[in-house]
Amino acid sequence: MTRAAVGDELIVQGHSVGEPPRVGEVLEVRGDDGGPPFRVRWDETGRSTLLFPGADCVIKHLKPTAEQETSR
Amino acid sequence: MKAIELSPRPPVTIDCSDTVHQAAVVMAKTGVGALIVLDAGVPVGVVTDRDIVTRGVAHRHPADARIDGLMSMGLIALDVGDELEDVMHAFEHHAVRRLPVVDGSEVVGVVSLDDVITLLVNDLAHVSKVVAAQIMFPHANDEAAAPSRM
Repeated sequence: MTRAAVGDELIVQGHSVGEPPRVGEVLEVRGDDGGPPFRVRWDETGRSTLLFPGADCVIKHLKPTAEQETSR
Repeated sequence: MKAIELSPRPPVTIDCSDTVHQAAVVMAKTGVGALIVLDAGVPVGVVTDRDIVTRGVAHRHPADARIDGLMSMGLIALDVGDELEDVMHAFEHHAVRRLPVVDGSEVVGVVSLDDVITLLVNDLAHVSKVVAAQIMFPHANDEAAAPSRM
């Protein structure tokens, strides 16, 4: 299951040649244990929607997780 | 108007481990052309009758294969409390014809582009009746409004 945290960057790859990837910021994580759906604000429009990400989605954790913080 | 109020029917779902044949049977029984695919109750995709034809039958995909092999992933969804403006934005920017409506992480409805068009056309018909009435009887309210007029 894809997991995310508030503030992560989310990238959905384009599905056809020339289609740019969609980039957004995770505003809210609604599922259990960091799972979907995520409320994402899309850079292109500044508007937000809910997203259940698929395999074409990459999430960049921009902030260290709690586990990473404690292991430092 | 809220997104959930735009959803005229409950969602029809199928499990990701069900077969292509089972999906086709569900579509035939319910008269629905798009099913929300769930994995342990969480939506993971959508599969349409067109997907079954173009991704399945056209490529001799076996009818007993799992339906998640044909589904589209990366599901854009609406919150039950989203407004009509949010719904229009989602249709405009995500190039989809149907949007699941979610309460928490549970799918509770589906809004299609056709549902929105029907709503807007009905509103337009209502407005056109008001305008037509004003054209036919342009001074119908003048007497009642007269005291306040200059």
